[in-house]
Amino acid sequence: MQVMETIIIGLYVFLMILIGIYFAKRAHSSESDYWTAGRSINTFVGAFALFAALASSSSLMGAVGSGVALGLPFLFAYGFGAVAILPFTLFLVSGQIRRSGVSTMPEFFKQRYGNSVQIIAVCIVVVGMTFYMVPQLTASGLIGSYVLGIDYTTTVIILGIGFTIYAALGGMWAITYTDLIQGSVILVGMFVLSVIILTEFNGFGSLLQSALEVTPHFGDITQPWMSYFGLFLAFLWFGIVSPSAVMRNFASRDARTARRTAVGSCLLYIFVFVFGLIIASAGASLGIADSLSNQDMIFVSVIEHFMNPFLAGIMFAGLLAAIMSSADAMLLAISAGVARDIYKEYINKDASEKTVTRLGFVIMIFASIVGIIIAIDPPGLIAIMVGWVGGGLLSAFGFPLVLGIWWKRANTAGALAGMIGGSLTFLVLVITKPFALVSEPIIAAPVSLILTIIVSLLTDPPPVEIQNRVDSYHTDEPINLDKIVS
Amino acid sequence: MRGKSKLRDPGIILCSVLVLVAAFVLIWWPKDIYVMGISLAGWLMFSSYFVWLAIGVIYIFWIEKWEKK
Repeated sequence: MQVMETIIIGLYVFLMILIGIYFAKRAHSSESDYWTAGRSINTFVGAFALFAALASSSSLMGAVGSGVALGLPFLFAYGFGAVAILPFTLFLVSGQIRRSGVSTMPEFFKQRYGNSVQIIAVCIVVVGMTFYMVPQLTASGLIGSYVLGIDYTTTVIILGIGFTIYAALGGMWAITYTDLIQGSVILVGMFVLSVIILTEFNGFGSLLQSALEVTPHFGDITQPWMSYFGLFLAFLWFGIVSPSAVMRNFASRDARTARRTAVGSCLLYIFVFVFGLIIASAGASLGIADSLSNQDMIFVSVIEHFMNPFLAGIMFAGLLAAIMSSADAMLLAISAGVARDIYKEYINKDASEKTVTRLGFVIMIFASIVGIIIAIDPPGLIAIMVGWVGGGLLSAFGFPLVLGIWWKRANTAGALAGMIGGSLTFLVLVITKPFALVSEPIIAAPVSLILTIIVSLLTDPPPVEIQNRVDSYHTDEPINLDKIVS
Repeated sequence: MRGKSKLRDPGIILCSVLVLVAAFVLIWWPKDIYVMGISLAGWLMFSSYFVWLAIGVIYIFWIEKWEKK
């Protein structure tokens, strides 16, 4: 057991749980507080929170590990899509979906397309977000078992319960403020590690030279073109199709703040990939990739090699911060999907806000347990698992959502065809694996687009009220929510 | 306001810029040209991070200018 690191991680997790307890009463006072922190978050806090929600274990461990294992250009491809998430989402959906007045993505689908699309959306959100937690729990298990000296399974369970507690207690309030701390820890930790590495190698040039001497393929494109394109596509769309990222948009106090939050997050995310480049180069120079049973552990190996126990403890806390800050947002999206979009909408319309938030609490615990069970025997590398979920969500939601905002003619039948057709195509490709790694959305997303358009055109146009509503997404005139058509 | 012509929406225009830059990188794809031992295709992807930030900043200024009008 690494004592110093264990103490720091223990203190860190304890602090996060305290924040959850601090916000528990406010969070459970209303649904708006639980799901969207009362729509009151400012730019500084929001930028760190959005960045932390997006930058998960895959942006750190997954990107560095795959950069060393599959070549630095693979890490760059990660950022090529990931950094573009923020402007892409800002340009296409953020302002419009804020104007709709909804609080969750399935709620938007209900408003635009009706109940049937909302229900399918909820099912996909719940399954997708649960699976997306698996690589996060896997990463936490790898770090924790290494640092704490406990077996992988026990560590997955302990750390999984840890982040579930504060998320379930404090809702979006706790998630936002823990994300602020976690985002800071991620960046400071990576910065310090990068400075140490550059100092030891006397600059970037000699670091890169050393990496290439030890790992000759480090600078190469080692995978088929479709893998890089698929990775770019899956990450690019993540801010649009990820319910957890979409919910962060609703937490901003106004549109101006939301825009600045997105661009602020973009800048913070760039730092992750600049530091990631340095850390991956150090990993390649160690020449350990082939000796590791799991190449996702390369980041951990770099930390242990270059940092003293105190700094290593902080950096491990930074890795856990990346995990927890994303996983908590996923849990919130799952619980909102079930408690708000299904239970309150269809089962008990008169449910009090307290009942709904309490149900949200229970759903989070349950979803966390399912994620933990799957993470005990994870199906692949962290980067690949995240690519699957991102690609799956894109194939299901991407075009029905964007077309729903920009094309009045998109209708319920078209959205259903696009969602179901895109999801099934993606699943078939994942199971049969006819193409290169993470390239499934290259086929499945266009299938979704074509189905949404063709089926919409072959069926009746949406009612006039819905078409007028689509126009209202693009102006700043107040929306009369009494005219919502379900 | 922006509802008049969606094609003139700053978001659509800047999204097109993003797609063009990405297409340039992915179509050219100079995987066999190396700079400092790293494939140029990789460096192009890395450089694009700063383009993404720049167009995000441009969007903010552009939209707020529209809103003031």
